[in-house]
Amino acid sequence: MDPSTSRPAVVIDNGTGYTKMGFAGNVEPCFIAPTVVAVNESFITQPNRSSTKGSSSWLTQHSAGVMADLDFFIGEEAISKSRNSSTYSLTYPIKHGQVENWDAMERFWQQCIFNYLRCDPEDHYFLLTESPLTPPESREYTGEIMFETFNVPGLYIAVQPVLALAAGYTTHKCEMTGVVVDVGDGATHVVPVAEGYVIGSSIKSIPISGKDVTLFVQQLMRERGEHVPPEDSLEVARKIKETYCYTCADIVKEYNKHDKEPAKYVKQWRGIKPKTGAPYSCDVGYERFLGPEIFFNPEIYNKDFTTPLPAVIDRCIQSAPIDTRRALYKNIVLSGGSTMFKDFQRRLQRDTKKIVDARVLASSARHGSGVKAQPVEVNVVSHPIQRYAVWFGGSVLASTPEFFTACHTKAEYEEYGASICRTNPVFKGMY
Amino acid sequence: MILLQAHSRYLLQILQNRVQNLDKGVELDCHWVEFDDVRYHIQASIKTPNLLHLSVSLPTPPPEIDFSGGLPLGAIEALKTAYGSVVHILDPPKDGFNLTVKLNLVKLPNLEEMKQNLLVKIASVREVVMGAPLRVILKRLASRSVPPNAAELVPLLHRPNESFFIVPQLEKVTVVFPMRFNDSIDTVLATSFLQEFVEARRTAGLNNAPACLWSSTPPNELKEAPQQALSANAGFVSFVISTRHVEGKKLEKTVWSLSTFHAYVNYHVKCSEGFMHTRMRRRVESLIQALDRAKLDENTATAAQSKSFKRLTIEESRGNSH
Ligand SMILES: Nc1ncnc2c1ncn2[C@@H]1O[C@H](COP(=O)(O)OP(=O)(O)OP(=O)(O)O)[C@@H](O)[C@H]1O
Ligand SMILES: [Mg+2]
Repeated sequence: MDPSTSRPAVVIDNGTGYTKMGFAGNVEPCFIAPTVVAVNESFITQPNRSSTKGSSSWLTQHSAGVMADLDFFIGEEAISKSRNSSTYSLTYPIKHGQVENWDAMERFWQQCIFNYLRCDPEDHYFLLTESPLTPPESREYTGEIMFETFNVPGLYIAVQPVLALAAGYTTHKCEMTGVVVDVGDGATHVVPVAEGYVIGSSIKSIPISGKDVTLFVQQLMRERGEHVPPEDSLEVARKIKETYCYTCADIVKEYNKHDKEPAKYVKQWRGIKPKTGAPYSCDVGYERFLGPEIFFNPEIYNKDFTTPLPAVIDRCIQSAPIDTRRALYKNIVLSGGSTMFKDFQRRLQRDTKKIVDARVLASSARHGSGVKAQPVEVNVVSHPIQRYAVWFGGSVLASTPEFFTACHTKAEYEEYGASICRTNPVFKGMY
Repeated sequence: MILLQAHSRYLLQILQNRVQNLDKGVELDCHWVEFDDVRYHIQASIKTPNLLHLSVSLPTPPPEIDFSGGLPLGAIEALKTAYGSVVHILDPPKDGFNLTVKLNLVKLPNLEEMKQNLLVKIASVREVVMGAPLRVILKRLASRSVPPNAAELVPLLHRPNESFFIVPQLEKVTVVFPMRFNDSIDTVLATSFLQEFVEARRTAGLNNAPACLWSSTPPNELKEAPQQALSANAGFVSFVISTRHVEGKKLEKTVWSLSTFHAYVNYHVKCSEGFMHTRMRRRVESLIQALDRAKLDENTATAAQSKSFKRLTIEESRGNSH
């Protein structure tokens, strides 16, 4: 028997903003690190490096005290390196859920494996994730890197929303039909899944995600004239968003509440200026509820996109096969960091229900009083591990024995080539 | 990152989190595996948030290794010296593990720096345990005391079913690694990496580094080694460690570097493969660009042709009209 199947699989969910990595069978990922690489460009871009004799190039690097191709950092370390020194420049390998820079991605994985998880990639099967819109070529690249650079014994590339569905159900029967609303940092997808298969033609993506909430908070604070050091303002806006933002039931009422009781609603943010080390503070007010509001009233942020998230969910389900719709409305599952705002689930449920009820009412009016339409159950499900639901679903699935048989193995890769990575079968345990 | 660190990053993170949030201690139950098949399991309950149960399992030893009591020689003493009263060794260990200890966070030193240092040391538990026999030998070298069985070959565990070998002498200790890789490309890369490694040792800047040799066949020191240790598809590396490499603080570093030498080479082999892929991708990109340029030229060429053809006809027509 392959001894690597006796060890827990490595589960890595690479997101636009954060990478969640860990071992299957655990409830939490070991590390959640920003998906970013800081590279020291001064050696990489040196001309004619390949033509200089191996040993002399080694000597110049040695005397400079670096090893050029290893002189890089990932995650929080990358961010602090680039802040403290201009020799390092930041690269974000993933944009809007898609890998755009494979060199940076390969380096990022290298450090995830050897520096963070500290495992030998030859010892573990790997479960990686991808966005529902990832082209098959991209899976081939991933497969190439995993099998050829890291020699992994087996690989499974799972679709993120499918894993998020699997995350919701661990104790009772695993319900693999539902709509996943995955709101991450760089992409928001509404993905219907039936029996573990993504209904590709009904996927809806919207151009508003966590990063936009951050930008909007930053913009609001700047407009109000809060004194946040400019080089830190994005980072501060993100932290404020994650700590203080919430979803309100009604904007007008919320404005009133803030105006009546500012002491209760206005928060203070305290920071230290990175350059001078001097402390500063600023007020956090309306942006607390206006930030997340862009999902429900996008026109306050973006003139070009004005469909609220609940309407997108409704359209998504309406475009799915008719026999799946009731089941889909019943199981709308939240996933991703940007669904963590307080009361986000409640608001989404209320607004979606409103749209559905209005349509049911309209259709019974059209058909006259004779036929009574059955009410549609709308259920938005939130669970405690929502923030990394995709990772958790991966952790659950990769610890079932079926997982190992659903993986592509190194032997298969060597026999058939990278094209086998284009698809992975849905396996038992998923439904 | 060039060198692997002695402490487990994840274990250190768990410990630091726990210490910082001792009052809101949550349920904890995690397991993970590091290179060379060292497995960890850590547990804590809400009821006694200051107590952590940490279990470690070591790679399966090959037959030549004496593993009485389930731990390498000298491991228990090493644990006691390193951790004092913070760590309590449980006997027997949890099922499936070689070692289970109870950590009492209340007994950590108060001074912040000492506390952090001790947490890092706890996170380096594999170094303390697996490095124990080597540490004993190198300590003897440092104090120049006569080794009990001088010039006898000592096998030490470093990977599942694999050992490396030590020949302790009064003035020096010779360390021999049979190097094995699963993948044929890895084997080739590792072989050339090791040859380059030996080469690099000869440069002026590294005069004080341990002498280092590579050979494709077992060196003399392995005359008495068991048969299964004598096959190594990436050859044999030997280091000669002398007293200056084990003085004071250098001792721990030397213990770690030697006991994880294989993992170190494996890491760099994977890095070189990644680096080559980067270069291959660049090459492909530049070739595609060249192709695209060629296509463009073709287009403009046909366009130019047709233009000149038109022009010609116009000129011709003009010429004709004149
Ligand atoms: N408690 C919180 N409240 C609100 N937003 C949060 C919270 N925690 C994290 N976020 C935001 O969630 C986003 C990260 O979510 P997640 O990790 O799901 O995204 P991702 O997987 O990196 O991106 P994607 O899935 O789009 O590729 C960030 O924008 C982050 O600021
Ligand atoms: Mg994500």
